[in-house]
This record gives sequence, C-alpha cells and structure tokens, in this order.
Amino acid sequence: MEDTKHLMGLFRDGTETAQVIDSLYELGMEDRQVTVMTGVPYPERSLGRHVEWLRLPNIVLAGALVGFFLGLFLAVITPHLYRLDIGGHPTVGFPPAAVITFVFTMMATIVSTFLGVLWEMNFPEFGPKHYDKRVTDGYLAVLVEHDPSEEGQVRKIFEQHGCDSIQRSERQPL
Amino acid sequence: MSDREHMAGDSDVPEGQIELSEEYRERLLLAQRTDAEINAAVLRPMMETGPKFWITVAILSAIILWGLYAWGYMIYWGMGTAGINNPVYWGLFIATFVFWVGISHAGTMISAVLRIFKADWRRPITRGAEAMTAFALLMAGLYPFIHLGRVWKFYWMLPYPNNRFMWPNFQSPLMWDMVAIFTYLIGSSLYLYLALIPDMAMARDHSVGWRYKLYRTLALGWRGTEGEWHKLHRALNIFSVIIIPVFLSVHSIVAWDFAITLQPRWHSTIFAPYFIMGAVYSGLAALATILVIVRKSMRLEEFLRREHFDALGKLVMVAGLGWIYFWFAGFIVEWYGNDPVTRELIHDEVAGKLAPLFWLQMTANILPVIFLAFRKIRTNPKWLLGFTLLINVGMYTERVLIVVGNMQRNYLPFDWGTYKPTWVEISIVAMTFAGFILLYILFSRIVPYVPVWEIKEGRLRYSLRRIGRLWVPTAAEID
Repeated sequence: MEDTKHLMGLFRDGTETAQVIDSLYELGMEDRQVTVMTGVPYPERSLGRHVEWLRLPNIVLAGALVGFFLGLFLAVITPHLYRLDIGGHPTVGFPPAAVITFVFTMMATIVSTFLGVLWEMNFPEFGPKHYDKRVTDGYLAVLVEHDPSEEGQVRKIFEQHGCDSIQRSERQPL
Repeated sequence: MSDREHMAGDSDVPEGQIELSEEYRERLLLAQRTDAEINAAVLRPMMETGPKFWITVAILSAIILWGLYAWGYMIYWGMGTAGINNPVYWGLFIATFVFWVGISHAGTMISAVLRIFKADWRRPITRGAEAMTAFALLMAGLYPFIHLGRVWKFYWMLPYPNNRFMWPNFQSPLMWDMVAIFTYLIGSSLYLYLALIPDMAMARDHSVGWRYKLYRTLALGWRGTEGEWHKLHRALNIFSVIIIPVFLSVHSIVAWDFAITLQPRWHSTIFAPYFIMGAVYSGLAALATILVIVRKSMRLEEFLRREHFDALGKLVMVAGLGWIYFWFAGFIVEWYGNDPVTRELIHDEVAGKLAPLFWLQMTANILPVIFLAFRKIRTNPKWLLGFTLLINVGMYTERVLIVVGNMQRNYLPFDWGTYKPTWVEISIVAMTFAGFILLYILFSRIVPYVPVWEIKEGRLRYSLRRIGRLWVPTAAEID
C-alpha cells in the first residue's frame, strides 16, 4: 500500500462524523481504511463502525487458570516438599489452601487483564503515528487511507459534512 | 450544533424559559465549558506550585527523614527500642498497619463498585480515591518490613528453593496477609494506571519539557481510536469486577490475623465483616477529608461540587451505621458470655484505664453519623472536613484498642502486661503519615487529579427533557 495517501478531517459533532463514515463506506472504503479518533469514548456502534471481537476475556480466563494452579501448587504441593509439622495440624489444610489459591487466582487474573489489554492495543507503541493534538480538545478526527485518485471525493465528503479542518496526514511523533 | 451544545440542552429548549432547580443547574455547569477549557482547568493547578506547596513538601520530607532515622535506630539497636513487649507484641505498628489497609478500601468502593452501579457522581472523584488506595497500601506494606526487625532478611518470606530448606508457611494467616496485600497493591495500582492512560495522552498533548516526556511515556502511544476506547472500557469493566472480591478478601485476611488466635475479644466470627465495614467507613471518611483539602488547595471547586460531597456524605453515613451495627453485634455477644478475661477487658475499656480511648472512639465514630444525616452538613465542606477527620481519629483509636487494648489481657493472668509506645514507634508512624501525604500531593501535581475523560464521557449522557413546567437533566444509557 505504498501508493496510498492519508487524509484527516476534524469534526465537532458525533452525528456529522457518523454520516461522514456512512458516506465513505458508500464510496467503497473498507472498514480498515477509516480510523476515528476521539477524546471521549463514544458509545459502541454510535458512529456506525464495526465493533471488533476481543480476545481479552480469553486472556483473562487463561490468566485466572494459571493463577489457580500456581496457588494450588504453592498451598497444596510445596508444604509436602518443605514439611513443617505443627502439633494437631495437618500438613495441608483446606481453609488455608482455599485462601492462598483464591488470592493467587485473583492476582494472576488482574495481571493478565492488564497485560492482555496492552497486548490487544499493541501498547506501548512510541513510533510516529497519524494523529492531531486537537483530538483531546474535543474534535473527532476521521483518518482515511485512500488511493491518490480518491482524494477529491474524500475531501468533498468531508466538506459536505461541515469539516472544521482537512489536512494531508503524515506520521509524526506523538 | 455541536455535541457540547447538544448536551447542554436538547435542541428545542426555549431560551429564557428554562426553570432548573439549583441541584440540576450545578450538575449541568460543566456542559457550558468546551473540552479545551476543561483540559486547561484541570492542567493549570497541576503546573502551579507556589511557596506553600514547597514549604509543605519540606516539612513532610523532614518528618520522613526523622522517621527513617528512627527506623535505622531500631534496626541498629534492636526491636527492644520499640515499646512492644510480652504480651503486647503488636503495638502501634500493627494498629497503624490495620488503619492504612482500612483507608485503602475507599478507592475500590468508589471506583469499582460505583462504576458497576453506573453512579455518575463518582466520575470526578475516582482518581483521587484510587490514588488514596495505592498510597495507603504502600504505607501499610511498609509495616510488615518494619515489624520484621531484621528487615534485610525479608526475602526469607518469598517462596523460592534454597539451601536453608526454609519455605513460607502458607498455613499461617501472616503469609496470607502478605500475599493478599501484595495482590491488592498490584491490582489497585494497575487499575489506577489503566484509567489514567487517556488523560496522560491529554496531558502529553498540552505540555512541554520533562512533563511532555513523562506523559508521552505513560500514555504508551494512546490516540483515542475507537478500538482503544473499546478495549480500555472492557478492561476497566473486568477490573471493576475482579477487584471487589480482592478488596473484600484483603481486610478479611487482616481480620483473620486476629480472629484465628485464641486471644479474648479477637476470636470472633464477626471480625472479618466488622473489619471490612470499619475499613469502608474510615476510607470513605478519609476520601472526603482529602477531597475537601484538594478542592481548596487546587481550586477544583468547579469539578468537586456539593452534589459529590452530598453523595459521599451519605455513603459515609451508611458505612457508619454499618460499623455501629457490627460493633454492637460483636460486643453484645461477648458481654453476655461473661467470660472472666473478656469481662476484665470490657471493664478496662468501658470504665478502666482504657476508658478515655474507648469513649473517644465511640464519640468520634457515632457523632458524625448523626450529623451527616443533615444535607446542610454534608454539603458544607468545612463541616464535612471536621466530621470526617473526627471519624478517622475514632477509627485510629479503634485500631489501637483492638490491637493494644486487647493484648494486655490473655488467658494466662501471670502474663498480663501493659504497653506504652516509645519515640521510635511514634516517629515511624509519623513517617508513614507524612509519606502518604507527600506522595499524594506530589501525585496531584504530576497527574490530572480529576479524570478528564470520565467527566467528558459523563457529559455525553446528559440532555434536557421537559417534564411539566420544568426542564430536567436526563441521563442516557450509553454502555
């Protein structure tokens, strides 16, 4: 896709932005060619975009299982390896094992949620990117990756929907 | 019409005919601001640090240095320099440890529980609460190390194969404690950071110099794409659900440190829920105290408003009623049981040498509950500050009574004793209080104290709707 160009339009209104996206789809743009950036989390599907399926719940579940077995290993297996006999106490008791297994399960679940979401977002990513700082000041940025021949049509769509600023976008350090 | 104007009032609101009650007008105040103005209002106080700020930092640093000297003194001369003895082998250190763990509970309560219940008023105060949790846990986490005495041998508590054939005893509640607090610290820190990423990006876009480098690094490359928001939301929702059982387990485990022993007045099944309720009570009260002070010192009146204090005050009051109930439920059974040692302990507390502490505890914990029933008190920052400070005096006293008061008597009367803290303990305790305040004020000057993106998201929810003669704000379901 070396020949493609990027055009970015800044909008103030969510409804206009959704209409721009509809028009871009009508023009034949694919979902992956359009990126919307906002300073506020708009509700899913409010801009008419495809909502991607996340692997995060699976990652979290896998993390929980790892934590569960790690906790079980520490609470149930290792006391047999390093015996500490206390009068009247079993080497391994159910209540302490339940507490340790629970806490390790939760710890691994928490860590896997955090690492999972960073992995899903491909973070950290400090390289140059298409971006406009006005996004955090309330603008909605629509970034379109297009063939050079389509620039005029994309510009027209932006202008028709009251775009505040249209610019050719280059990757730049954030 | 932009989204902002749309939020301020639905398109067909006739100008000049809007009759809003004061409460609604207050809630809609921010809708008159643009996003850029909100960013500026949050970032400005972060960047301004006057002489008062630096004097405070210097005083707190001096207290911390003195505390470190006391800790070093105790390490060099041994634990005998502290007042702990037999039978009071847990003194101010453990009482303060329990206090800090308790304080840490407000963050999760405000952030996770209220997020799940979609309580909108939580939005401006979540970050302050989460930071309080993380820093209180850091301070609590110091005490097991302090209490070790030979702190350089701390790694003996870690489970790794070694040629000493030593292994942590996972049957011991003290080991559960360490693991649970570590888990809660990791969980609350990651939760705090995750919700911070979009605001780090906002700060990155509006700063230069070292701040730009710091925010750019912490923002991890955030741009606010739909995918990023979607994933962040999902992760925060998962976190909110996971962190609640952790929060319940941490203070339960701290309570079991006590309840699992055969010590009179500790060996009780009600201790875990009683501790949790006390933790929520003191944590929420501490949060209210901090919010009043931060609001004034950072001029955040526009964000931390009367409606927030009102709601927080109600929560404090409900938690206070819960604490009273659990305290009484535990007390009546022990009193009625009439066990000789327990009877002696109760007499010591209510009418003996511990009576001043006991009555301070009861007054400081019950009086605010009565006053917080009044809206005028809850919404007045000065009154709220006074009563919530009083609650934490009461809750700290309660911790001292539980730990120190009860240890003075056990089932072996020849082993009864007393306890008086030394300058070493008092200095180390003061160090952690100063450390908490210092970390908190530095945090508030480096990180946007008010979660800007959450406030903006909250604004998306509101529009005006006519009901009879009134135009009232209406919240939309946007999840």
